Amino acid sequence: MQPMAEWMVNILNWLLIAGGQLWFWTWENLKAICGVLWGVVDAVLNPVLSPVLSILNPVCVVVGDVIYAAIDLLPIWVGLILLSAGTGVVMLVFFRYTSNQTAIARAKDDIKANLLALKLFRDDLRVVFSAQGKVLLAVLRLQRHVLLPVLLATPFMLLVMAQMGIRHQWRPLHPNERTLIKMTMRPSSGKSTQAVLRAHPGVRVEVGPVPGGNQFVWRVRAGQLGRHVLQFDVGSTVVEKEFVVAKGLERVSALRPGADWTSQLIHPVERPLPTASPVESIEILYPSLESRVYGTDYWLLTFFVVSMIVALILSPVFKVKF
Amino acid sequence: MNNFCLSGGVRPASLAPRGLCLLLSMAILAGSCREQDATFPKVIVLGFDGMDPKLCERLMDAGQLPHLSKMRNNGGYRRLATTIPPQSPVAWASFITGADPGIHGVFDFIHRDASRQCVPYYSVAETIESDQGWEIGDYKIPLTFWPFNHQAVETKLRRGGTPFWDYLDEAGVPVRIYDIPANYPPSPSHAGHMCCLSGMGVPDLLGTLGGMYQFFSDAIVVARDEPGGGGMRHPLVFKNHTAKGAITGPRNVYDRKGKSARVPFVIHRHPSDPTARIEIQDQTIVLQEGEWSDWQEIDFELEMPSLLPNAHVVGMCRFYLQKVHPTFRLYVTPINIDPSDPGDQKISEPPEFVTRIADELGRFYTTGFQEDHKALSNKVFSDEEFRQQADYVLEERLALLEYALAHYNDGLLFFYFSSTDLQAHMFWWESDEKHPVRSPTEAAKYNDVIVELYKRMDQVVGDVVQRYGETATILVMSDHGFVNFKRQFNLNTWLRKNGYLRPSDCGSLLDPTKGAPVDWSRSRAYGMGLNGLYVNLKGRELYGSVDPEDRNALLSKITEQLLAERDPQNGKQIIAKVYRTDEVYTNPDAATVPDLIIGYESGYRASWATTLGDLSNEVVADNDATWSADHCIAADQVPGVLYSNHPITTNDPSLLDLAPTILTLFQVEVPQTMTGVTVFDRKDAVVATVGFPGKRPIKE
Repeated sequence: MQPMAEWMVNILNWLLIAGGQLWFWTWENLKAICGVLWGVVDAVLNPVLSPVLSILNPVCVVVGDVIYAAIDLLPIWVGLILLSAGTGVVMLVFFRYTSNQTAIARAKDDIKANLLALKLFRDDLRVVFSAQGKVLLAVLRLQRHVLLPVLLATPFMLLVMAQMGIRHQWRPLHPNERTLIKMTMRPSSGKSTQAVLRAHPGVRVEVGPVPGGNQFVWRVRAGQLGRHVLQFDVGSTVVEKEFVVAKGLERVSALRPGADWTSQLIHPVERPLPTASPVESIEILYPSLESRVYGTDYWLLTFFVVSMIVALILSPVFKVKF
Repeated sequence: MNNFCLSGGVRPASLAPRGLCLLLSMAILAGSCREQDATFPKVIVLGFDGMDPKLCERLMDAGQLPHLSKMRNNGGYRRLATTIPPQSPVAWASFITGADPGIHGVFDFIHRDASRQCVPYYSVAETIESDQGWEIGDYKIPLTFWPFNHQAVETKLRRGGTPFWDYLDEAGVPVRIYDIPANYPPSPSHAGHMCCLSGMGVPDLLGTLGGMYQFFSDAIVVARDEPGGGGMRHPLVFKNHTAKGAITGPRNVYDRKGKSARVPFVIHRHPSDPTARIEIQDQTIVLQEGEWSDWQEIDFELEMPSLLPNAHVVGMCRFYLQKVHPTFRLYVTPINIDPSDPGDQKISEPPEFVTRIADELGRFYTTGFQEDHKALSNKVFSDEEFRQQADYVLEERLALLEYALAHYNDGLLFFYFSSTDLQAHMFWWESDEKHPVRSPTEAAKYNDVIVELYKRMDQVVGDVVQRYGETATILVMSDHGFVNFKRQFNLNTWLRKNGYLRPSDCGSLLDPTKGAPVDWSRSRAYGMGLNGLYVNLKGRELYGSVDPEDRNALLSKITEQLLAERDPQNGKQIIAKVYRTDEVYTNPDAATVPDLIIGYESGYRASWATTLGDLSNEVVADNDATWSADHCIAADQVPGVLYSNHPITTNDPSLLDLAPTILTLFQVEVPQTMTGVTVFDRKDAVVATVGFPGKRPIKE
């Protein structure tokens, strides 16, 4: 019995090791394939989306500023909940008019009817299998009808979340607070390019820049309160970056991106750096906003939970089916 | 912790809010130190490791310690008799249990395993590796859940005896203990009224007592692991001012080959300025030469078989950019357990006690030895760099004390400072004689660091007295004093010279490559640890050669010869006292206790080599280490101090009296295992306990 048990354990181990290696191999290759595919999609989309976002982002920032100014007197968590609830309502109305409500209602009716059939004719195998198949088909149909409006709503949602992100993901630096400024250079910029941060009352350089890799990094302390524009001399060009020092909460731009649509989507505040610039991006490591309701990362959870609950509660009012 | 519903003895006005408070307390404080609704006496104990009475008295006489002087003038000062031997783990274990080493079983920093002849081990804690587990490929994974119930790796506290705070805990007295030595892992709180943060004895993430890292580009320095867990030194090769290194983390306990986890990093140094940038995991650290970083989280990934997710062990460290050009040197602290996220490492009781502190204070040193004396001893630090690092440790500890005081209402508060011990080991030199490594000017300069430290500690005491002197009994104590360490005595070489250790050309008890191996069949005694001498006893030691009936005669002869030994350099007596443990300890465990404790004269100590069983050519030699002061000598030559804001009425108090004193202040019955007596007159004790609801019976 003992050798048999040992033999079985060995087989099990071998299967687990082989299974693990197979899984690892599959996962790595899947990642590589996805990476290649994403590269192709990105290459195709970027020339289109980057200029579009360059136009859209300033408009969105202004709209965001107006909305946040309107709720400025409220506690920030109340403001976030109100905005999330409002987004839930907007999405509900959007869904109402972009989806085929009749088809959705029909698919849901089919599901209900076949579930009832399953309950009533549980002894009849033929009916059971048939009803199960129909439920499955109805669910797929329902998904198809839901998918289109969701896809149409996604760009709007991303723009909304980007506006919320710049106000909840980070907070401005407090006076005398320490942080890092990272300037990433384009590979084509040449190793001899130097970068100098011009003196500014909003910032005091403690150390740097320390070059290395394709980056220049400064360690700085925040200076005077204000929404400053820092200027960097990079080779023969001047590059600018917004730098916010405030005691309260304000929107911040953690990164000034290059002409890259994904970065522009997440960091919408500043104009993207020109393609001809030797600088690829400039990042300021703003501190996280500490709150488990509206702070770093948690704001996203609050946003999704509140907007979905509001949409669910109000769906009968707006006569929306999903 | 703030008592949010019952602070300072204020009681709720009606039963309804009281019930609500109780429910809220139960909900919020479940699993944490329990809060009480009674008002207890206030007793604050400040433990200054190694604070020396001779220096205190000199400074008090010179008017430099005004707050301690005030206590002395009010009758609240005595020299405090220490333990045999006067080593910190031994002394603090006696403070904790109110009992001698025979009861708590800690006789030295280093004990030896007689069943393996003389293999040394750390006396206060032990880590028990698991020999069970699911073997898969190169891995062995303990399945600690049902139905397998494999034993997980576990660290156990070796210190025996019952801590005095257990009796307070049982009586419902709130107890808050910060950085207590000889209590890692922390002993449990049975009634939930005790919170304790472990101090001396807490290891780093690698399991050593503090292993630093140094990364350097010097061509002449050799890469090596410092002996005794003293750290690792790795060379760096810069190419275009960029170099790559890796921090070696804990051993992968699941890997049967025992590979260690490593976290790679990249260093970019400025081509000409004295600045550098370290990229490690997702963190960027920019430093100027001579600067320290904040605490940085380091996440060590322990590889597991392919199908399982990798395990993670998170620690923290600080980087210190020592030099950038022309050679580069970067010091990294030992990887400390992160107090904000200690994971499976239990360094406080209850475990969340430390995270609550870190939530408010941020990260702080958690290793037992915080001042990196090994970095100074191994010449990684200069004197000045060590002083700066020790200052930083002190500042962190003062912030912790502030936290402790801010969260203290009543009951017992104990707070420990290591600075007075570890800085003294490296900087103390109360003598005009030549210092082992420093010039007379430098020796005087750094001895002044200790004087300034004592003045700072006096201010700390003054601050506590000002805040609590009217309402609390305050005790300021140390476990031992200090003396210069000028000459080192190799006990094993002496035993060899006198024919107790054979053959005559043996070089080490443990390492056969250092000369001829020890012939245990002809060897009758050996030394291990800082003060212990063991008879090679038949039936106890693996290769015992001495019959039990010959033991007494052998011990008498060795004692006589040791006391007669003179330093060939100056003719001075080297050993002041030789203690027989069966005479000075209460019922010691015969399997672990040394037979003799060597009490050296002031100025002498066991040699560095002899502590782990190595021999040298000479029996007595100059101490040539930066570690220039010590206390592991005859107990009566290095007493500690005891101060109080109440008159101390016993003439010769000892460490063993403090536990009974504290229990008496809370009117808790003193157990029979504690042989000491209260240091206060009964009426002073009563004054101190005004407002206490009454004597609490305890269960034995």
